[in-house]
Amino acid sequence: MKITVKLIGPFIQVFGFSEKDLDVPEGTTADDLIGLVSVDRARPKIVTRNGRAVVPGEALADGDRVVISPIYSGG
Amino acid sequence: MNGWTGYILRVNLTAKTFKKEPFSDEFARKWIGGRGFAVKILYDELAPGIDPLGPDNKFIVALGPIAGIPAPNTGKAVVAGKSPSTGGYGDGNLGTRVAEQLRKAGYDALIVEGRAAGPTMLVIDDDKVEFLPADAVWGKGTYETNDWIYAQYGKGVGVLNIGQAGENLVRYAVVRSLEGRAGGRTGMGAVMGSKLLKAVVVKGTKTIPQADPAGMKKVGYDDLREVHQIDKKAGWSIQSTNGVLAWCNEVAALPVRNFRKTHHPDAWKCDGERLNNARIATYGCPNCTMRCGITIHDEEGRESELDYENVGLLGPNLEIFDLPAIGSLNYLCDDYGIDTMSGGCVLSFYADAIDRGAVPGDYKFGDAAASKLLLGAIARREGEIGNILAEGSMRAAHKFGHGSIDYAMQVKGLEVAAYNCKFIPGMALAFGVSPIGAHHKESWVITFELKQSVRESYGPEKAQKVIDLQRIRGGLFEYIVSCRFPWIEVGWSLENYPKYFKLVSGLDWTLDDFWTISDRIYSMIKLFWLREYPQADRRMDYPPAVWFDPTNVDTEGPIAGKHLEYDKYDGLLQHYYDLRGYDRRGIPTKATLERLGVAEEGRAAEKFGKLS
Repeated sequence: MKITVKLIGPFIQVFGFSEKDLDVPEGTTADDLIGLVSVDRARPKIVTRNGRAVVPGEALADGDRVVISPIYSGG
Repeated sequence: MNGWTGYILRVNLTAKTFKKEPFSDEFARKWIGGRGFAVKILYDELAPGIDPLGPDNKFIVALGPIAGIPAPNTGKAVVAGKSPSTGGYGDGNLGTRVAEQLRKAGYDALIVEGRAAGPTMLVIDDDKVEFLPADAVWGKGTYETNDWIYAQYGKGVGVLNIGQAGENLVRYAVVRSLEGRAGGRTGMGAVMGSKLLKAVVVKGTKTIPQADPAGMKKVGYDDLREVHQIDKKAGWSIQSTNGVLAWCNEVAALPVRNFRKTHHPDAWKCDGERLNNARIATYGCPNCTMRCGITIHDEEGRESELDYENVGLLGPNLEIFDLPAIGSLNYLCDDYGIDTMSGGCVLSFYADAIDRGAVPGDYKFGDAAASKLLLGAIARREGEIGNILAEGSMRAAHKFGHGSIDYAMQVKGLEVAAYNCKFIPGMALAFGVSPIGAHHKESWVITFELKQSVRESYGPEKAQKVIDLQRIRGGLFEYIVSCRFPWIEVGWSLENYPKYFKLVSGLDWTLDDFWTISDRIYSMIKLFWLREYPQADRRMDYPPAVWFDPTNVDTEGPIAGKHLEYDKYDGLLQHYYDLRGYDRRGIPTKATLERLGVAEEGRAAEKFGKLS
């Protein structure tokens, strides 16, 4: 299935891309996806799927847009 | 008195007099400084009902026990007075050398009273105070005024100044400092203007009293280095605050078209990545470890310093996505001394009101050229529209009528910051109960709402989180007077602040002690409002009606079909009041005031409004 991944803020510099489409196997979860794009698991982050925060272990679906962002706190 | 200079400088512009007034240990420990000093002084000294733009109002600059001392991000000052935009207590903070210079001159606060006979620059040089003419820069912008001051005193002095907006009493005029800093969006620039006070210049040479100066110096410099390293590793300042724009766009929280839309396909054109790419320089406040002021060339080739709030509200909110054009609007606001947030909201409200037939006009969303002209008309109060819009969106809506107050994006008269709460109940509450009107500096709860709670929830966990953040952001950082960014953006531990406080004052306090101070100050601000608006009720703490409007819902995206609901919001508000110990109007009960050590101030307020 096709998933779009978008990184936000300094993650773009750290992980080398801003937005890309990935072909992933059925059943891939948001956690799996974070591993696939090499984002440091230990780093605090907020992950949204189609604009809503993901639940750990939540499976993705074809056409999903996953956004991985550092924790912003409103300045 | 270690930690404080022990003195306040009181200046009267009418009589051209000044007085160095000592304050007690008890006053210092009860109110700490910054916002704490400001609200206590204004509560004690202002008669309720005075005109905020008249000579009876007072302009206060207040510092805290760590302000100006080398340590992470301590180059900040609080400016305060009765707000021309809300009629309640108003304040704001800004990065400025005044933080260090006023303390070195021997004062923890400055109170400016009366009204000068002509345009005046107040110059404070240790124990000397001069009232100098400022006719040469009256009518000039803040950049030219700043240069005029630097040419006379050098760049090392502390400066506060205003532009044409402050002079012409635009109700959301700010105070400006350095080349890119602004504060006091509750109209503190207009309070200065009403006193014909064009600028304050401060030089100091004294030593700030500290309990352990050697210890503070070592810890302060070590921590300056460490926070800088943390930021470098985290990369926060690559995009600075504007990093959040792309995220807001993804989660349907971006203000677009006067907040009617929550996201836009062109938002990427002005996001943090684009801002970083366009960067020509980076600026920060004194003692900054993680400079956030990214400048770009605007359409006219000038250097304009941008952050998220001004990009969000002068950009997507006006359906302008071109960074140089947004830079031009931002530059004009900064030069005129107009608050960029309120300025953006006022323009978007005007375009929306025309769209909906509430008022005739040609101004349209997306028109950067017309926006530039309008900002000039506002700053100079030119023509009928310039004059109406200079009053802010709430008063403009009352003038336009036709229900336009529903989409004037303000709370209590202060325009909302750049977070679209069409379906973010906790952040809507944070705007609603902010003690100075809809400001994001008090409590920013969106990440918590999306990550650790459920967006749909109106539960007490959100009200508690709003209070927790108010205690830190609107409390601690506003009275100890320091920038919150090291804590909030790169995780610098809050426990560092009692540590700094102990090194300067010798007092061994815990964070819980500080939260009591925060709650005391919030209660005092509430009492200030009670005296001004004794008949007001909980509806004063409601956010703009358009967020509750079922006809205004998104038709696609993450919150399609969703909007805030009145009964649920009211329940959330009640959770907040219950947790705070406030009554059903949102006023602290007598028991709460007693617990916080302000029963006497409560009794004084009872002459004007009832307490329960």
